[in-house]
Amino acid sequence: MFDPKINREYSDSPAVDFSKAREMKPYLSEPKAMYVGCPGKHGFLDLGFELDPDGKSILRRLNRRAPLVVQQELYFDESMPDMPCVYILSSGGPNVDGDRYRQDISVGKGAKAWVSTGAATKLATMKYNYSGMVQNITLGPDAYLEFLPEPVIPHAGTRFICDTTLTVDPTATVVYSEIYMGGRKYYNGGELFKFDILSVCSHGRRPGGEELFREKFIISPDRANLRDTGVMGGYDVFANVIVMTPPDKMEQIYGRTTPFIDPARRLAAGITHLPNQAGLLFKVLGMEPGPVKEVVREFCSAVRIAVKGVPLPKEFPWR
Amino acid sequence: MCVKSKHTLNNRSTTQPSPQTMNQRIIPLTHLLQFSDATFPVGTFSFSNGLETAAEKKIVHDAATLEEFARAAARQAAFSDGVAALMAHRAVSAGDYEALCGADRRLMLFKMNDEARLMLRRMGKKLAELGRRLFPESEILRRWLADIESDATPGSYPVAQGIVFRLAGLTEEDLYASSQYGVINMILGAALRCVRVSHYDTQAILFKLAGEIPDLFAEAREMTFEDMNCFVPEMDILASLHEKGQMRMFMS
Repeated sequence: MFDPKINREYSDSPAVDFSKAREMKPYLSEPKAMYVGCPGKHGFLDLGFELDPDGKSILRRLNRRAPLVVQQELYFDESMPDMPCVYILSSGGPNVDGDRYRQDISVGKGAKAWVSTGAATKLATMKYNYSGMVQNITLGPDAYLEFLPEPVIPHAGTRFICDTTLTVDPTATVVYSEIYMGGRKYYNGGELFKFDILSVCSHGRRPGGEELFREKFIISPDRANLRDTGVMGGYDVFANVIVMTPPDKMEQIYGRTTPFIDPARRLAAGITHLPNQAGLLFKVLGMEPGPVKEVVREFCSAVRIAVKGVPLPKEFPWR
Repeated sequence: MCVKSKHTLNNRSTTQPSPQTMNQRIIPLTHLLQFSDATFPVGTFSFSNGLETAAEKKIVHDAATLEEFARAAARQAAFSDGVAALMAHRAVSAGDYEALCGADRRLMLFKMNDEARLMLRRMGKKLAELGRRLFPESEILRRWLADIESDATPGSYPVAQGIVFRLAGLTEEDLYASSQYGVINMILGAALRCVRVSHYDTQAILFKLAGEIPDLFAEAREMTFEDMNCFVPEMDILASLHEKGQMRMFMS
């Protein structure tokens, strides 16, 4: 078992501590190559979006440590040209054994932002340890954030844990989406559901500390047959979208969203209310990431129409 | 609000019986049968946990798919409802009323579905009311029911089960077995009304799934609220279709 104090000697990224996660206990040996927490394997990102004196949303604060990279905000959204858009990149390629990441994103009062990743997040095969990520997403009054990263692709034998805290003012809106593929479907004759474990926890709270909801899923082919009816069934890709928004917007979005099971396209989606009037939870199942992403974007568009009055623009053809 | 208080339990023991006291075990065992019975009036029969929609969409259409669906439902409850029930049982043992409210609150934070929350609250209140009749001397149940009625606590079913089982001198194993049995039997009972399966099929499934409960219990008994987890996206989508749909033989 590693001692994070010793191993973080050369890193000034904030600690990423999953020592209490029972499900990761089998994966605590020290990798034989670069140690857990060493520079280059302990990424940190701190993005602060705020309004400038002219009332324009800008990326005011940018603090980063390799392998996480954000260059600068761009304004490429055609239906919201005043919204800063940021791609999170990783100079290290896939997440490897023993990687730790911390991503903090805050959107200040009245500001808006769009955050995604430059490409799919690949989780490489791991032998000794795991890859862990802590995210803190904070929205001030009337703030707006769309967090729509590209899919996560877990390779055979990978282990990944992610803990996301969404601290959201009652007047703000956040769309937080995650898309998980079953694996490298077409690699080496097919590598679906061959990973060791994916543990994903998201919790919502108010700035005062009031807890609103807590969702945690542990996906592990060793623990349960993921192909069972009711679990993944015959589907290969899974998306989870959390929307925290004021109750009036929530009801508009809920009313406009129709859950469906489409056997022809092998695509399904469902929507429900989060506990404590916190917002909505939208889930999608499909066979390929493209159509799942499209359904997630349509849903995000419904949120944007309810909150900002405009739809999402068409996705770039190269994405 | 819930405030911490000590209270006295009735003096039935929850430890394993010695051969001499074996006949004493008959009473709690009979209680276990009573609380787990499908006719125990908490309204189990009115919920299907998404099975009604799964049957309509032909996702569950025979014994094999029903077994998978029932297993998914059992696992969903195993590491959430089951954990909360065990925590409630321990809270009553410790006389810690605050911990009881904590278990209730933490479980509701974890329930990501309107109909599931409704089901847990409705059945929980019914069990608390029934518990008041069975244990009229119990201060903890009096207070629990009062707190449900004044909306001080949601009053979920697993927490009520934890209270009632502990008061009846039943063990954590008894509670967990009954909790799992209840979930599986709810699905199978609903299946007889909406899936083309026979009683022989459903009994064989129940008998088989019973064999999987010990491993789930071994894990759940060590878990804290932070560890609660579930992953049944297809069931979640079915629940959502039910919530927004027209089919109303069952309430979920």
